[in-house]
Amino acid sequence: MKILEIILLLGLVVTAVAAPLSRRLLTTVIIYMAFSLIMAVLWSLLQSPDLAITEAAVGAGISSILFFLTLKKIHALKGTRDE
Amino acid sequence: MSEPKSEKNWRKQFVSWVNGEREPKDRTLFVMERRHINLPRRTDEEHELRERHRLRRFLNRYPLAAILICALLLCVLLSVVIIMPDFGNPNNPTNNEVSEHYLEYAYEETGASNVVTGMILSYRGFDTLGESCVLFLAVSCVMMLLRGQNETDGEEEKRKRKLEENIQRTQPDVILRQAARLLIPFIFLFAVYVLVHGEESPGGGFSGGTILGCGLILYSGAFGPERIQRFFNGRVFAAVRTFGLLLYAGLYGFYIFMGANGLEYGMSFMMPIDLAVGLVVACTIYGFYALFSRGEI
Repeated sequence: MKILEIILLLGLVVTAVAAPLSRRLLTTVIIYMAFSLIMAVLWSLLQSPDLAITEAAVGAGISSILFFLTLKKIHALKGTRDE
Repeated sequence: MSEPKSEKNWRKQFVSWVNGEREPKDRTLFVMERRHINLPRRTDEEHELRERHRLRRFLNRYPLAAILICALLLCVLLSVVIIMPDFGNPNNPTNNEVSEHYLEYAYEETGASNVVTGMILSYRGFDTLGESCVLFLAVSCVMMLLRGQNETDGEEEKRKRKLEENIQRTQPDVILRQAARLLIPFIFLFAVYVLVHGEESPGGGFSGGTILGCGLILYSGAFGPERIQRFFNGRVFAAVRTFGLLLYAGLYGFYIFMGANGLEYGMSFMMPIDLAVGLVVACTIYGFYALFSRGEI
């Protein structure tokens, strides 16, 4: 359990550093999604399942969808149908 | 340049100005005429060169400034961490009788065995009511700003969108559709479970409503807006979110008025309140998606 926690915390740091450093906006959003997912697992390990459910639904789900929509509006999604 | 000589004169002028009999002289044009113009008009090339120079200077300084601000923020946060009380110290201000009271009496007083739900919906019910109002108002503002944006788009945008809709109608994404057909019942079931069972297990109004909204978004994304508008159009949307908020306000007002003790009446107030919050949240989530993606519900 300890090892899993350490791996998750390391992943948290790596994703947090990688999100602003990546070149493409789409990659940034996906890395941010991964960050939220790791955070959700960590919340449940910290014995707060209420927060874990909300983090998984809002952080990884809704906010990424809204980010994708925004990227589509400003035509920043490369390789999609509208090109 | 005739300044009023005496105070009396000045006062008389002021009184007449307040009464609306005369206006102070507008000297703007006069001053502008007399101003000496010494700026030679720059040519476009010169302007462009200057702008590029400024941009380069900005880009040179930008990482430096970013690093500086990050370091400053880091120092502030770390210094706050240093002066925070020790972890697990029994004399900490957080270890007072309030949390013990919540943990001990939450089930007796609210009827919810999940203390978090009891706290959010009973002890801090007004706080949650305010949050629901914020969500309601946020959707209303987004509606005001984004509704009908498609009409004001240019010809190019309209053509592109029509093309996209045609592609979606004639060649639907098979993988997305099959996956959605498989997943959506379970998503809705889980959402209802989290909503209704929020007083006894982790979850509750906010998370359940978010999952419900996610299910609606997946449905709308996989099967197109026409399918979802058959049972969830703008009228239903407005009715459901208003009904959710009113149900919350009514139930919570009744609950507080009756002494804030649900168990005496043989029923728990937490479950219907949870449901009301969930309806508001689900409508908010789906409304954001629909308005951002196509400008209508």
